[in-house]
Amino acid sequence: MRRYPAGACLICAASFLLTGCSSLGLSGAELHGARLFDLHCAECHEESNPDLKKQPPKLKGLFRSKRLPSGAPATDQQVHKTIIEGLGTMPAFDQRLSDQEVDDLVKHLHTLK
Amino acid sequence: MSFRMLVVLTVASLATTTTGCGTKPKQYSLKGQVLDISTSGEVIVRHEDIPGFMPAMTMPYKVRDPSVLQEVQPGDLIAAELMVAKNGNYWLEGVRITDQGGRKTAKPAMATHVLKIGDKAPDLPLINQDGKTFRLSDFKGKALLITFVYTRCPMPTFCPRLSSQFAKIHEHLAKTPDDYNKTHLLTISFDPKYDTPAVLRRYGLAYLDNDATGFSQWDFATTNATDLRALADAFGLTYFEEDNQISHSMDIVLITPEGSVARYWSTDWTTAELEDALRQQSRAAASAPSASAEGMKR
Repeated sequence: MRRYPAGACLICAASFLLTGCSSLGLSGAELHGARLFDLHCAECHEESNPDLKKQPPKLKGLFRSKRLPSGAPATDQQVHKTIIEGLGTMPAFDQRLSDQEVDDLVKHLHTLK
Repeated sequence: MSFRMLVVLTVASLATTTTGCGTKPKQYSLKGQVLDISTSGEVIVRHEDIPGFMPAMTMPYKVRDPSVLQEVQPGDLIAAELMVAKNGNYWLEGVRITDQGGRKTAKPAMATHVLKIGDKAPDLPLINQDGKTFRLSDFKGKALLITFVYTRCPMPTFCPRLSSQFAKIHEHLAKTPDDYNKTHLLTISFDPKYDTPAVLRRYGLAYLDNDATGFSQWDFATTNATDLRALADAFGLTYFEEDNQISHSMDIVLITPEGSVARYWSTDWTTAELEDALRQQSRAAASAPSASAEGMKR
């Protein structure tokens, strides 16, 4: 399970901003994306929620395949669109996440091997 | 669901998943100020940081002991125990008023007019996923199960759970035509700005396995902000926008075929419990003389 308390992530991000580097080897955008992932995605995509009609797919290795779980091309643009518009029972993040935040989230998704 | 609420529940989930698998709720000390009291028996509390659990924020909380609602008033400073169950349900226990100095002279009007069991449901106009206007009275003759969601809710234990449970009930009812024809499901959005009929149609189809015929038994509806607030107050729903998101309670209401409130759920329920109550309500009506074909408009 890849979950971090939000506070720890904030400290991590702050450390990065102060030192200009990360002991994890992640960029600032990726760290920001990791925090967003923990806040907005992990609850569904990392946990088991037996009450849900459909279990959301795990996102590790999302970009290793040419196709997303939906069958759409595994491109940054397509993932960005899915996050903003939602898909099936996945809620839309329209007006909740900015384009920059979604970009950072997509960068983090690339690091999930 | 607000961003801060999201933080809270994410951290809550982490706490519950890292502290063992028991079913006993986690307990945290809460201190804050009561801002309001909702119709559904919730206190809206602006509380301090809860170390190890959540940052300071404003949220609605159910209380285990309803007598508390007769004692606390907006402005009161309180201390309480916040209980968080593994399934995501949370509530306050042991509420103590620590300071009444900020107490307002009168409770807000919204705390007074939640419908009681047996009261007639309001007959306000709603617009469904097809853009068709209807009223709750259109379901006269059927047992009606209502819940409230917003389609962008990202918390799996909130709106997605409610819609998934309704989907399961719909699937089960479809296998028994007698009950299917005497029941109806209704999901009402409390985000009318975003949840247009088109958005609701897409949302509904996702829970109906893309079978639009299911809308004949399960409507997804919106309405204007004024009527929505009136409906929410009548049925005890609490919702408010915060940081461009919506914090809300979870409420389910069962309406009799005659159009009266039969039962509420707001803290603990199972899909089977909802389904059984809905079936029983429809069957009770079918065996009663008042359940006439006249009411079967839909």
